Amino acid sequence: MASRIQATARQLSKAYKKKSRFDIGIASELPVAYKKFWREWKVLKPAAVHYIPQEGKWKRDDLTGEILPIQNIPIPLKHPAEIHEGLWGGEAVVKGFQKRDPRRRRVPHYWVPVLKRTVVKSEVLNTHLSVTVTDRTISLINDHYGFDHYLLKTPACDLVSMLALKLKKQILIELMNGCPRYSHDPQRQQEVYEEYKTYLTSYTPEEIEWYGLSWYEALCKLAKQKEAANKPVPLKNMYRKNLVEKLKAAGIESTKTSPEEISSTTSWLSKMNPFGKKDEA
Amino acid sequence: MFGLRSLVRSAITSGCNINHQQTRNTFILKRKTPVPLHKKGGKPIKLKGRHFVYDLVEDTNVKRKPDVKVILNQFIDGVGNKGQVLTLRPHQAYNEYLVPGLAVYASPQNLEKYDANEEKSTTESNYSSPYVHRTIGCLSRVILQITMSKLEPWVLEPWHISTSFRKSGFLVPEHCIEMPPAQIKGPDLTLQDKEFYVTVTINNTEKVNVRCRIHHWATGLDRLPWEEFHWKKPKEALFPEQAAELEKMPLPQ
Repeated sequence: MASRIQATARQLSKAYKKKSRFDIGIASELPVAYKKFWREWKVLKPAAVHYIPQEGKWKRDDLTGEILPIQNIPIPLKHPAEIHEGLWGGEAVVKGFQKRDPRRRRVPHYWVPVLKRTVVKSEVLNTHLSVTVTDRTISLINDHYGFDHYLLKTPACDLVSMLALKLKKQILIELMNGCPRYSHDPQRQQEVYEEYKTYLTSYTPEEIEWYGLSWYEALCKLAKQKEAANKPVPLKNMYRKNLVEKLKAAGIESTKTSPEEISSTTSWLSKMNPFGKKDEA
Repeated sequence: MFGLRSLVRSAITSGCNINHQQTRNTFILKRKTPVPLHKKGGKPIKLKGRHFVYDLVEDTNVKRKPDVKVILNQFIDGVGNKGQVLTLRPHQAYNEYLVPGLAVYASPQNLEKYDANEEKSTTESNYSSPYVHRTIGCLSRVILQITMSKLEPWVLEPWHISTSFRKSGFLVPEHCIEMPPAQIKGPDLTLQDKEFYVTVTINNTEKVNVRCRIHHWATGLDRLPWEEFHWKKPKEALFPEQAAELEKMPLPQ
């Protein structure tokens, strides 16, 4: 595993930089916390599941003795919509060909992981979940000594599925709040918190808030935040205030009533309908 | 960008240590035609059709997976005591012990917490053997029918009880049987609708009371008529001091 970062010279050079998705439109205002998650999810190269990567940087050709660099080109994977409803443990569908007979044309083939439905137990969430998994997921859970450890220790690029990311976010939120689901049993609550609190050190509260959001969800969240921040104030309120101030400055007697009382008159006025029928008015 | 790698690595290693060996439980493929090398730091070469022709190297779904070690976090009847380390097949460990919460993973932290190791098995426990609980359950449900002669005189002795146990499928040596407080003599047809209990000692440790009833046996015209569901009917205690204990023992429904 030489490098899990896909970086080219052009990306690294400062002279010319192609506009990334974080430089266009509203996305340019996305916080650093989300960018960090995005890198963990999409930029980092996932672990080799469907192939055996060659170790080292260089290798010598057995026949010619020529030294050649090792470049592990991953096998392209297909991510169907169902992957986001289960925990496939980094597995995915491989689309390719089989050469079944040297004298025949290659045959298209899909290698689809064997899926099974089982129950996983989350300690932090204090619940059991029925999910679609593969054998690899179960052995990963066993290797990490538990479902929560597996989720918290695995980077987003290896979890792949939205379900896993949402669960991870939920677990992190739960930990940040000190495991409120165990409030009926303070001793157990303390035990669980002590076991998992090491994972909290790698996230700030803002990063947890922006963790596990898809691109569209992040943009929606940002737009909502912006909308809530600069809520438009009706101009009539401003004009009314100005007018009251002006009248006060001029010292006119009738303005001794406070602006609040004036504002209350609008509600009474609004009940008036000069264009309605006589008995309605 | 390269700071990220160290960041992720620190995040990964910050938790408790796990075995970092990769598990591949899926189709492992290999390209029939290797992709040509690209320039250092350059773009990878565009894949062609021939680069999508794969050979199956291994299908790990059909490979035998290693056993999983778990620690019991409670006494389980017929399995073991709290803190015992079990080595099980992965699906059995996962479905029968870990998901129901009967056991925890044998991680270094848990081994320390439960003070468990491989050698420790059933040494320190409340029960003398993992199967005692089950045996107690079986014996306490039994209604022992002691068949005695209706015509010949007899005195009830431990070997009668032992024989009756053997007839109902339990091998109970005579020295394990504690007889009721007073001697029982017969034939006496008033004993027919009375009951008492004997105490059986298991492994010289656990004691269990077994409900006993005497049946008078004879052939021909002397034979007592068959009573339907006699084991379901409550009967009077032969010894008044045993009445309270017999009340507590449940009758079969």
